[in-house]
Amino acid sequence: MSAVEAVPQGAGRRVSLTRGSQAALFVLAVVLLCRLLGAQFEWLVKWPAALTVPMADWMTWLVGGFLDVFKPIARTFTFLVSYPMEWVGWLLNAVPWPMTVALVTAIGWMIGGLRLAALGFFGLMFVVFTGYWSQGMNTLALVAVSVPLALVMGAAIGILAFEYPRMKGAVNALLDVMQTVPTFAYLVPLLVLFGFGPVVGLIASAIYAAPPMARNVLLGLERVDTEIREAAVMSGGTRRQQLFLVELPAATQQIMIGVNQCLMAALSMVIIAAVIGGFDDIGWEVLQTMRKALFGPAFLAGSVVVVFAIIIDRMSAALAEPRQPQNRTVAYGILAVGAAVTIWAVLAGWPPSGVAAMDGVAKRVDEGVGVFTATYGTTLDSIKNTSMFYGLLPLRIGLAEAVLPFTWGFAWTVKHTAMLYGAALLISLILIFKGRVTAAVMVLIIAYIAEIGVAHLAWPVVILGAGAIGWVSGGWKLARLAVILLSLILISGLWERALLSLYLAGAAVFACAVIGGLLGLWSAMSSTAWMILRPICDFLQTIPLFVFLIPVLMFFQIGEFSAFIAICMYAVVPMIRYTRHGLVSTPDDIIEAATASGAGKWQTMFEVRAPFAAPTILLGLNQTILYAFAMLVIAALIGTTELGQSIFLALGQYDVGLGITAGAAMAILALVADRLVQGFAEERRQALGL
Amino acid sequence: MTDTNSTAPAIAVEDLWQVFGENAASALRDARGAGDDKAIAQALKDKTLIPAVRAANFEVKSGELFVIMGLSGSGKSTLIRCISRLIEPTAGSVRIDGEDILQASDKRLIDLRRHKLGMVFQHFGLFPHMTVADNVAFPLKMQGAGKAERRTRAMEVLELVGLKGREDTYPRNLSGGQRQRVGIARSLAVNPDIWFLDEPFSALDPLIRRQLQDEFLNIQATLKKSIVFITHDIQEALKLADRIAIMRDGEIVQIGTPEEIVLHPVDDYVAEFSKDVPKGRHACVESILMDGIPDNMPDDPGIKIGMTLDTALTKCMELYEPVPVRDAEGKVIGAVHPHELANALQAEET
Repeated sequence: MSAVEAVPQGAGRRVSLTRGSQAALFVLAVVLLCRLLGAQFEWLVKWPAALTVPMADWMTWLVGGFLDVFKPIARTFTFLVSYPMEWVGWLLNAVPWPMTVALVTAIGWMIGGLRLAALGFFGLMFVVFTGYWSQGMNTLALVAVSVPLALVMGAAIGILAFEYPRMKGAVNALLDVMQTVPTFAYLVPLLVLFGFGPVVGLIASAIYAAPPMARNVLLGLERVDTEIREAAVMSGGTRRQQLFLVELPAATQQIMIGVNQCLMAALSMVIIAAVIGGFDDIGWEVLQTMRKALFGPAFLAGSVVVVFAIIIDRMSAALAEPRQPQNRTVAYGILAVGAAVTIWAVLAGWPPSGVAAMDGVAKRVDEGVGVFTATYGTTLDSIKNTSMFYGLLPLRIGLAEAVLPFTWGFAWTVKHTAMLYGAALLISLILIFKGRVTAAVMVLIIAYIAEIGVAHLAWPVVILGAGAIGWVSGGWKLARLAVILLSLILISGLWERALLSLYLAGAAVFACAVIGGLLGLWSAMSSTAWMILRPICDFLQTIPLFVFLIPVLMFFQIGEFSAFIAICMYAVVPMIRYTRHGLVSTPDDIIEAATASGAGKWQTMFEVRAPFAAPTILLGLNQTILYAFAMLVIAALIGTTELGQSIFLALGQYDVGLGITAGAAMAILALVADRLVQGFAEERRQALGL
Repeated sequence: MTDTNSTAPAIAVEDLWQVFGENAASALRDARGAGDDKAIAQALKDKTLIPAVRAANFEVKSGELFVIMGLSGSGKSTLIRCISRLIEPTAGSVRIDGEDILQASDKRLIDLRRHKLGMVFQHFGLFPHMTVADNVAFPLKMQGAGKAERRTRAMEVLELVGLKGREDTYPRNLSGGQRQRVGIARSLAVNPDIWFLDEPFSALDPLIRRQLQDEFLNIQATLKKSIVFITHDIQEALKLADRIAIMRDGEIVQIGTPEEIVLHPVDDYVAEFSKDVPKGRHACVESILMDGIPDNMPDDPGIKIGMTLDTALTKCMELYEPVPVRDAEGKVIGAVHPHELANALQAEET
């Protein structure tokens, strides 16, 4: 019954095996082995506990010792940093809010004219009316101290990597790790090092926000025109003069993009770090209200975060673009009005910490959500249940376990298994007859996954499967990397949880790829569609991860499905963007050639644009995967059982070893997925000669 | 135009090699045994190394306008970058006013660039974040000149290149021709002795190009710099050069005056370049003087030394006997045969 034998018999002619079909056949062989012999040899399916290495304990011991050594230094640092943080916090809280609003409005005016001035004014007034002014200012105080730290760190790393090309490989690897290791994972060792309190959040956000700055500085410097560089050399500048007087200024635009990304990352992380608590900031407010199921206040607090994010993002993004100088008098005027209002406010006895005029709104939101869920509760439940019972659950534990009389209407028996494989075999025979060996083998492998589910996959299938994909996409080196890294998870004892992470991320990525791909295609075909989708994409990318949980929780309560939706909402954006960008940026001369050949709109789309877009779309998929893994940890807050939850547990229990090991396992999954997809993207790019 | 009475060469390039690839220097040392330069180059190519400049040998005299010409990929841009040491040559020596700059320390190199060398780039290489005046004054700033001094000098040079009044605009607001004027002004700001120009006019429209070439010649006539000028345009090379070096595949195949290149190409490659060149306009009667002076020359149409073939031919269209060639004082110093004149011109038609 194996496809290997079926090839000569079914087709009756020689089919040369491509690299892909060789790999697929190899995986099929592993699948057969595990499926047929799994019953006799249990170790083939489940890694024996006796061979599990207590990696988390080792980590606790190893890192614990290491941390103890550095603790005094770290604590000194905490002590030192807490001063500027307190000063900034005090300053932001002490300045009366009308003055702060006026200042931000004036800055907005100077940077981007009326548009940004209006954004700053209305945004901050909204914050004033929610009554979360002082919490908001506390959050900004954290950002204000962590961002300069991240900027300096990032710029130094970027310049270093540029000046010493030999260090570039190492630096890039370090940046990858800094960005893929889930932020919560390094919160634990940071907690041990720096002690409980807001400083940990500050440092974590600086670590998280430095890489985008470093990458953009490096990229900007590398992109400086050779002739500009040479002109600086020929002008007799020393290396330092060349760098600071010519190359860095010439790279300003790219560096400002880095500053923008750095700010956004820092804000996002400051909000996340609120789980540690100890600082009365807006992230803490969101978390607390969410935990108490107070959706109205959670929604308002979340909106404050979003408003901050949008103001910071738009203003810093405007800095990266060339702009017209604005009239200074207007800015002074705005400040004068602010001062006047301040005096009046003080006389009128307005509290400096905002005017909570929106408690009514919060209540309304609560009631509204209550009415909505009461009215449409059955619809929402049926959406949730349908997706769970017929989609997510079978994917997780396989049809064999998920098909139950009370959901599917019948019980799964051996007969059904036979039917499943029979159908798969039939399809694959037809495909082989058409000469599509790889697809035929894939059908059989998918049937196996459908039967037993991702969470129950035999470990050799996962590890060797990843190795085989690695071999196709990047040769032996990548295959070896995938196998070794995944084996580390296997022996660490976190394998089951890792498979659950893989399942949830995989399901979300699949959904994002389909939905995002279609939306991307739609926005490439119709400019109206892009006009609608673009602000939505911008919005989804601006708001901090945390906030995604609020609306999902409102409608679907705690649980895996909510986590799935939250991940999808966040991870779908790059897929849409890259798909569209890839499809619309085909070179003009090629489109002209296609048009001249008489191709219609859709023909051009699928015959010309799509192949050209393939590498870009793959990069989008890659981003989607990384986004999904990043969100996975956050989503664990609202009920999943995968690695993300282990990381939370570690945080709660102060367990350094578990935190690091689970974080590393998560990072390994993301890293392997990232490299595999990038390998394919690179292969496509080279095939197209790009 | 050729200035022959100068003494030491401004630039002397000896056996200069630029090989790209891993361990290029040692590979080149190993390949030296292979035989002549061609064999060495082949040996390097066999090792998948790229010999971009092969055994370049030439001198640029003081005040001479030396043009290096070749197709793209022939190594001319690499060669000028070796001479200015923007890239490190693999082997050989480059002496500027007798000083081997390949041995110069980084400090010395910076010093040379601040005072002695100027360079103009094909795509201008202007600093986008600086005004025109700041761009021009940048080398002066490197020297540590004061603000006022920089401004004064920048204005001087900008006036020289005809950009007075545009000093406070940014490069992005200028046209291509104006941008290159800024590039030229910047390279002249420190009043360098040696002037490198890397395809300075190639990115410009033909009309603007001709205009800038003329201005460039005017500037050179007053400044008398020693110049290395890169181009892929034979017309430009012939128009500007005192001497031309023609490059192919990293090798200098011929060095000579414009006349020599046009009239006596060493091989088909060089001949191919000058195929479409109206030779009569570039070659002078000296190039086809007869051996000795015949005693009896019945006609004297007034041919003078330095007269182009075109002009000479129009003067003796009807003649069949050798005619005398006189110098500026009217003394007969040679003779040409009208038949030879016609022949020399015909060579171009093929």
